[in-house]
Amino acid sequence: METIHKSGRKPTPVPIRAGAGLKPQHYQSVIEDQPDIGWFEIHPENYMGRGGPPLRYLEKIRQDYPISLHSVGTSLGSHLPLDRQHLQQLKSLVDRFEPGLVSEHLSWSHGYEWYTHDLMPLVYTEESLQVMVEHIDQVQEHLQRQILIENPSSYLQFKASEMPEQVFYVEAAKRSGAGLLVDVNNVFVSCTNHGWNIDDYLSEIPISLVGEIHLSGHSVQQVEGRTLRIDDHGSPVCSEVWSLYQQFISQFGLAPTLIEWDSNIPEFPQLLEEVSAAQCLIDGVAETEVRNVVTG
Amino acid sequence: MSLLAELQRSFCDALRTAEAPDGALLEMLQDDDLALQRFQVYRNNFIVLNGDALADMFPVVKRLVGAEAFRVLATAYVRQHPPRDRTLLLYGDLFADFLQAIPELSELPYLSDVARLEFAWTAAYHAADALPLQPDQLQNLSEEAFAGLQLRLHPSLQLLASDFPIHRIWSLNQSDDQDELISLDEGACRLIVVRPDNEVQVRVVAEGEFEFVKRLLASATIGEAFEVASQMDPQFELGQFFSRHLFDGTFCAM
Repeated sequence: METIHKSGRKPTPVPIRAGAGLKPQHYQSVIEDQPDIGWFEIHPENYMGRGGPPLRYLEKIRQDYPISLHSVGTSLGSHLPLDRQHLQQLKSLVDRFEPGLVSEHLSWSHGYEWYTHDLMPLVYTEESLQVMVEHIDQVQEHLQRQILIENPSSYLQFKASEMPEQVFYVEAAKRSGAGLLVDVNNVFVSCTNHGWNIDDYLSEIPISLVGEIHLSGHSVQQVEGRTLRIDDHGSPVCSEVWSLYQQFISQFGLAPTLIEWDSNIPEFPQLLEEVSAAQCLIDGVAETEVRNVVTG
Repeated sequence: MSLLAELQRSFCDALRTAEAPDGALLEMLQDDDLALQRFQVYRNNFIVLNGDALADMFPVVKRLVGAEAFRVLATAYVRQHPPRDRTLLLYGDLFADFLQAIPELSELPYLSDVARLEFAWTAAYHAADALPLQPDQLQNLSEEAFAGLQLRLHPSLQLLASDFPIHRIWSLNQSDDQDELISLDEGACRLIVVRPDNEVQVRVVAEGEFEFVKRLLASATIGEAFEVASQMDPQFELGQFFSRHLFDGTFCAM
């Protein structure tokens, strides 16, 4: 017999399928149409009110889908200590909704007594690495579970950095026991913004640590005759990122894959199309793997 | 100070200001002739992301001043009052006061009260849930015991009084396509904002009802609150008020 928790729910792992970021604009469609989507991801900070409809919608949707909590407010890379109250709120949501995955960013948003609410870039030094690892430890200890860390999209680099981003990223996970959430769009955006070699970046990533993949759209700006790519989650995934994703899952293997769409939010069917496109690529690779096993 | 702390503080200083970033910060960035523009991406994202949160919170204020003016106001607000909370759910708690202090907006004297109403709406939306008061909890009470009760109001409930017809302004500006004129001569209004269950309600109420609920919120008994309310507003009918609201979720279980 399967274990049923006291919430009446089975602890549900996030499947190796395509999922979508859950937006309030789509609550009704999801509840009424029960689309064939593997899972949904939420930002826990949007569910940290004392009560109200968002938590009720999430309860309802959680009955039918596995979910993942993708936090944006922990500020793991900050020189300031973590906020115990925020950690406690995060823990309450983890206990209540039993997510299959919990993740945060290789970033910071807390520099003074106020919050940027946008993900700020880290200087890649041994000092920052120790801060990251200590904070990841504290979160994992508090939540009593592993978390995944997402690579950032970045627009600038610090002179004082002592190692490439991918080395810092993987090292933070290895030292803390965290997993990796590889945002393929962010890899593309950062590599093209800084002239880094994408293959070099990806070759650092141990597939055994990858627990989730993110895909999203970005915008392109011309600045003084040069191209800067801005990660705004406001458009369909571009063709270069689709190719990179296909290359990544073919070479490294599959992981639950999320379509993020957080600004200029489309009608639900358009989001579904993106999810289906990711699902097709996952199915294609899965089929090849099965064939290889059979003929191998 | 550690390098990480120093860098994060100068980064934050530069995010908040409209001035060119400090030379010391730019000095810390790898320079490919685009260092400043690269930094501007972060500053722009900081302003836009938090400004968008204000636009979501105050759609009617945005409609009343226009999108461009709202963007200017939001940018100034984000710089002056950056988010103090880990979530953006209730970002903008000082926006009404901020608007009120801007001389250029004095031609829209109702604007800050409209902002207060929009903030109250969202605060009610995210407020704690509570079970409604049930008839069986008041059974077999003598009239005297009933008058001595201290009722608990729903945690989402807020009172709002304005010298201007802000309820009409707010409700007619829920969509872009209204062109009805509202006369400020319509005068003051008193509102109760509450979310008994899933839907936020904005109720226009008379002076007596407003005062009655205000007293209850300050822990007065039913009898005490009624005495004050009926003195201020002889039209106030306690029976009529209770028949509508005693068990509709305005009050919560004892």
